[in-house]
Amino acid sequence: MDVQSAALIGAGIAVLTGLGAGFGIPLATGKTSEAIARQPEASGKITGSFLLGIALAEATAIYGLVVALLLIFK
Amino acid sequence: MSEAAHQAMSISEKITEGMGIKTVFTIHAFGYDVPVSDTVISTWIVMAIIILAAFLLTRRMREIPKKPQLLLEAFIGFMRDFVTEKAGHHGKDFLPFLGTIFIFLIVSNLAPMLTPVGGFGFEPVFVIKPLTRDINVTAAMAAIVIVTVFLSSIVYKGPKGYLKSLVSPIPIMLPFNLMEYAIKPMSLCLRLFGNILGAYIIMLLIEAVVPIAVPPIAGLYFDLFDGLIQAVVFAFLSTIYIAEAIE
Repeated sequence: MDVQSAALIGAGIAVLTGLGAGFGIPLATGKTSEAIARQPEASGKITGSFLLGIALAEATAIYGLVVALLLIFK
Repeated sequence: MSEAAHQAMSISEKITEGMGIKTVFTIHAFGYDVPVSDTVISTWIVMAIIILAAFLLTRRMREIPKKPQLLLEAFIGFMRDFVTEKAGHHGKDFLPFLGTIFIFLIVSNLAPMLTPVGGFGFEPVFVIKPLTRDINVTAAMAAIVIVTVFLSSIVYKGPKGYLKSLVSPIPIMLPFNLMEYAIKPMSLCLRLFGNILGAYIIMLLIEAVVPIAVPPIAGLYFDLFDGLIQAVVFAFLSTIYIAEAIE
């Protein structure tokens, strides 16, 4: 196996980091809906921490994407 | 088989071409060659849009506002409330800075929708691609934010208070507190870059596979919604970092 095909397989493996965001963001969204249903008057604060949370959870998937792109277009 | 291989080749070529950053022209000045890439020209266009909008919206300010002024006042009020809620009453000092970042990112993420894509023998002179798909743009923005965080931390806490905050809550946290100055800008930079570039590549793929009917609907999510959300997230995280630094 030459270096190019090894890099392509590595890029495919790197994109598996999307699993983390795929599990994490729906969990956060569900909990946010529950929290807003329980206390609708606090929805502003809940949405703020929700946005922060998904931004941080999404970061892992983005790092995987960047690593995959670096492997393909190095 | 050869036809399928040819088509796959053309799709990957299209994506590689779309991802690359072209040098449009080169300025020869003072013995140096300064390459001007398409990102720089797009930045000039975005700057022109913002300056023109700022000029037109604030030209005739009135005691009793008309529609555009009302819109502007609502927008500024929203940002002021947001910043003071997150960063306390000192947050007002950072309103111009954070507002500038927010407005620049919104306009630069939405500007690509202004130019036609071409096709049917029609070629536009210059196509604005999303600015933030160039990592140099996002890296520069992240560097500006982290320098602001560092300086405002020293100014608002005083040099002694700043040094004390480095070893809080316990002295063993010093390396981790210092590491934050590298991790925060890196994650800010890569998040914006990765999101916009990812959405851009997906849109290129969709346009290559299904050229009609589907791209406008998918573009609503990938161009409009994703660009807005990422602008909000970037400004939001910058606000949080600054609030942390000055409290």
